[in-house]
Amino acid sequence: MSDYIIEMNHITKRFPGIIANDDVSIQIKKGEIYALLGENGAGKSTLMSMLFGMYEPDEGEIIIRGEKVKIQSPNHATKLNIGMVHQHFKLVSNYTIAENIIMGMEPVKKTLGLFPSVDLKKANEDILALSRKFGLEVEPTKVIEQINVSMQQRVEILKMLYREAEILIFDEPTAVLTPQEIEFLLEIIRSLRDDGKTIILITHKLEEIKKIADRCAILCRGRLIDVLNVADTDTKTMANLMVGREVSFTVDKPEPEFGKEVLRVEHLTVRNEDKYEVVKDVSFSVREGEIFVVAGVSGNGQIELADAIAGLVKPSGGRIFLNGEDITSYSIRRRNLSGISYIPEDRHGVGLVMDFTLADNLALKSYFDEPFSHKGVVRTNEFAKYGDGLIGKYDIRSSQGNETIVRSMSGGNQQKAIIAREIELDSPLTIFVQPTRGLDIGAIENIHKQIVEERNKGKAILLISLELDEVMNLADTIGVIYNGVIQKIADARTLTPSQVGEFMMGVGGKHK
Amino acid sequence: MKKDKNLLHKVILQTIGHEKRQHYMIPVFTILLSLLFGILVIALLGKNPLLAYYNLLQGSGLAPKASYAGHKGMITDFTSFLNALTPMLFAALAVLIALKAGLFNIGVSGQMLAAGFTATILIGYSALPAVAAKPLVVLIGFLIGALAGALVGYLKHRFNINEVVSTIMFNYIFQNVISFLINTFYVDPVSRQSRNVGQAGRLTLVDVVAGDYKMDIPLGILAAVIGIAVTAFVMNKTTLGFEIKAVGSSIRAAEYAGIRVGRTRVLAMMLSGGFAGLAGVTYYLGYFASIQPKVLVSTGYDAIAVALLGNSSPIGIVFSSFLITVISKGSTYMSSTSGVQAEIASAITGIILLFSACGAYVKYKVNRWKEDN
Repeated sequence: MSDYIIEMNHITKRFPGIIANDDVSIQIKKGEIYALLGENGAGKSTLMSMLFGMYEPDEGEIIIRGEKVKIQSPNHATKLNIGMVHQHFKLVSNYTIAENIIMGMEPVKKTLGLFPSVDLKKANEDILALSRKFGLEVEPTKVIEQINVSMQQRVEILKMLYREAEILIFDEPTAVLTPQEIEFLLEIIRSLRDDGKTIILITHKLEEIKKIADRCAILCRGRLIDVLNVADTDTKTMANLMVGREVSFTVDKPEPEFGKEVLRVEHLTVRNEDKYEVVKDVSFSVREGEIFVVAGVSGNGQIELADAIAGLVKPSGGRIFLNGEDITSYSIRRRNLSGISYIPEDRHGVGLVMDFTLADNLALKSYFDEPFSHKGVVRTNEFAKYGDGLIGKYDIRSSQGNETIVRSMSGGNQQKAIIAREIELDSPLTIFVQPTRGLDIGAIENIHKQIVEERNKGKAILLISLELDEVMNLADTIGVIYNGVIQKIADARTLTPSQVGEFMMGVGGKHK
Repeated sequence: MKKDKNLLHKVILQTIGHEKRQHYMIPVFTILLSLLFGILVIALLGKNPLLAYYNLLQGSGLAPKASYAGHKGMITDFTSFLNALTPMLFAALAVLIALKAGLFNIGVSGQMLAAGFTATILIGYSALPAVAAKPLVVLIGFLIGALAGALVGYLKHRFNINEVVSTIMFNYIFQNVISFLINTFYVDPVSRQSRNVGQAGRLTLVDVVAGDYKMDIPLGILAAVIGIAVTAFVMNKTTLGFEIKAVGSSIRAAEYAGIRVGRTRVLAMMLSGGFAGLAGVTYYLGYFASIQPKVLVSTGYDAIAVALLGNSSPIGIVFSSFLITVISKGSTYMSSTSGVQAEIASAITGIILLFSACGAYVKYKVNRWKEDN
């Protein structure tokens, strides 16, 4: 019998075009808080998804409580007392808290001894008792839509506890919470550990690890870099290990030569569907030959900012100028034609028509124009010719050339296709939103090179990035966004990474 | 047993495993499966299934009958079959265009009725000469249908009203309002249907004497063939078709590409409704000459399945419409000759449509096997 409750040995998992986990081995003791640290796409979530039965590893073994297991489904994982709180909650929004928690294992009573029905009264009582026991008080009869995000997370935690989970996996639990809520959540996690639960915390926030984790495994590009005792280390060491990589990521970037102003945003305000202001009174401008990076933690309004400039959402206030022309009221098509290229965050849902061929997707923004069509009649051979040209030029790989259905292509090649299409539009302004998210190292380098090339050609680049090193590597000018407000705009050379990091957390400049 | 199963897998993979051929092999496979199922049903009734199937062909004028009444023959059966096929082709086109735009037009039957009724009272009962009346019937049919369709598209675009709900509601509205109007103003006291339209406005030439035969010649079939060609052209060769397909595949991506989603949807529904209107006039002023109040024809609903069975391709629906019409048209002769009830034919149609709806499942399953091997 080993000392470990979980052992994952030599785990390898491949997805088309990417190795998500490469020979990773971790051992977790019962009753500890074990953190998995790494950047986006480092393979943390994949590793835990295998522990939770959502994927099976291609190679390697999983040992739970000394027994080798093959976890085939989340249900199976639940039977092994493993629970997981996903980054995106999996709750039925018009059900009550209690109904959500009991779903799948409802207490049943028999009316008249015959007809089975869900014993909601018992469920409500059980959940109230459970929530009191763990100090996670909730009102069982409240409906999910009426409670806030932090409370919903609490429901997710109770869901695991109701299923008697002993091993609790938290996937980026603090990404959606406010600082106070984060404090409270960390307190809860600590008390769960004191109750004897084993906690696995997936995160890329060093502070949280320092605060509560016992040990910390650092993943980088799918590989395990090191496992540290958190008490014996400091955040700087962890950060170095997390970011450190064999390949140098500095892109050759000549000194900037700014031209005239291309994009000017004035007092832009955007509301989301709930009428909540997600972009607040934002003003900035981007010049020719400039890479302007909007840096910020996920969910601080940067996606909405980009969508508003590209015309996908209507701003509730403010104005947008492109080459001096007020484009605020322009349609999406007119903006495209006026000179905006846009690489959106959501490749599958927005950037591509997944069931179209590669050729159709490459012409998605020019199909209506010569030479692709004439008086409303399309010329299929022009699509193919143009597609083949781009496929060669941008090294887009696919099984059936320009006739490949885009859905069947790998993520990296899908992104190449989008970037190829947008760069070929030769627009004065190109907006990149998280262009390297989830891509492998080679693809990232390639995209960074393309962005710099475009800038050197005198294009204005607006880059939205969550990754600090991408920000520092590429930016000529950095605008840090927090909670919908641009906190700071400055020449990239005058800011250190830690200063940018502080602004991203909304605390920058306060102790000066 | 295990070996048998593997053999079956192999045969299936050989025939329908190939990706390039799947778009037509899978519908063929599901049809064969349902015809086999039909054989089973008929055999269980103690009848000869192959004879019954042969009767279906005979009844549709695709195989010679043992004997014919005066002035009748295989050719007259066949023109009568084409007469029934025409509205089905148009209705299937209507469903297909909406499907391409990601919309479900459940309202084809209602749009048929609205167009058929309007053309009946405006032209069918008028004294216009045939040269003017026939084109006007087609025009009015298309316009009224297009209007009804565009309204659904507009409600979807402007108020986000689900098109399934609105088309079903319009079906009720058209059905009841029109049956009220017929019963009040246009009823034939003997037949209890609307009064027959005049020959001038009718899209089928009735009792045309050709040699020994007297036959019904559906002029609409020509229009249907043109309609299929036009649809294929619009979908594959025009920017409008590109836009409709983009909207149907991904609204957000279409929007991002600068396509006006609302306008595209309204246009698609307009075209869809227009074809439904043509189905209506070829049905009520072609195949028949009157409207039965309070009844919504099943053509509009069958067309949904016909379009799916035809793999949502204009050429595909020619074959699927043909098949479904053979079964329904031939069923009368089958029941009188083999003693297999006409209802069984409807049941087989139902089974085919049911199986065809499983096409996606079959494809999924086959591709899974392929991956496993």
